[in-house]
Amino acid sequence: MRFNFREIPDPGQQTIRARPIIDVVVESLEIAPQACLLDSGATAIRFGGYVAELCGVDLSDAPEKQIAVGGALVTARMAEVGLLVAGGEDAYSWTAPVWFCDPWTPGFGLLGLTGFFDHFEVTIASYEERIELTPISP
Amino acid sequence: MAEKTVIRKATIGGRSFVLRNRDVMRALRNVEPEPIMSHYVVVGLRRFPPKQVISAVTGLDRADFTTHHARRTLMRLGFLAGRHGAMSRASDANAQQAPSACAPAPERLADRLRPLVGQWVAIKDGDVIHAAESAQALVGWLGQHGQHADSVFRVPDDELAATGLAPL
Repeated sequence: MRFNFREIPDPGQQTIRARPIIDVVVESLEIAPQACLLDSGATAIRFGGYVAELCGVDLSDAPEKQIAVGGALVTARMAEVGLLVAGGEDAYSWTAPVWFCDPWTPGFGLLGLTGFFDHFEVTIASYEERIELTPISP
Repeated sequence: MAEKTVIRKATIGGRSFVLRNRDVMRALRNVEPEPIMSHYVVVGLRRFPPKQVISAVTGLDRADFTTHHARRTLMRLGFLAGRHGAMSRASDANAQQAPSACAPAPERLADRLRPLVGQWVAIKDGDVIHAAESAQALVGWLGQHGQHADSVFRVPDDELAATGLAPL
């Protein structure tokens, strides 16, 4: 699956930056795929807690820990959820542990190592502003 | 800078109205835009179907006038008008250009996002179909109007919101 980088205005400036962002359907929330930044520096997949609320994911008994996001400590709770990414005529769905965080500062979800980069061969061609995902056969 | 008041007389659906651009903006301030099917006008940085605007301002039934009539009326009041997938047409949004002047270049999506900093946006076919103050409100609007976005996110308002920042 091939994707172009997403152009986003630089905060507070008149410039535009293309970033490696793809859209992921979380559980049954098909009407609102979540824009996610590919982040190989993140250890796991992170979303704002509101995503769990919108998807009806119950986090009441979920494993919980404190993590640092953007220099601030946030509460993260984990659930195994269904994810789907589609590009062109191809689509790939899988189940992964996702940490839902409150509060959540980033404007996007973050796709990190566990749950995303271990499911795909990922090419980020920054010069060409392109992403290629090849699902890894189990 | 204060925005110039534009006043136009218009006959819509057989009735005469005196319309002011400020009245239109005021009337739409707390109104949620409905989905754009084809044509739109920009009121207060948001895109509305022209018939929704004229109906809200005049109280007329939407069956009493056409989209083109509504669009023309609003352009004469200085509101930017456009059509999905086409170059925007603008009247004198700030009363500085001749009415019906054609905007020089189509906007990029990133430029459309710039005034929406800090808001949640739904993107469909490369265009913003709705913006809201919260993810819940945005998804609620999508569900209410039977819309299906390609992507939703919050337009970053600072660098922390725009980057991954690799949680430990």
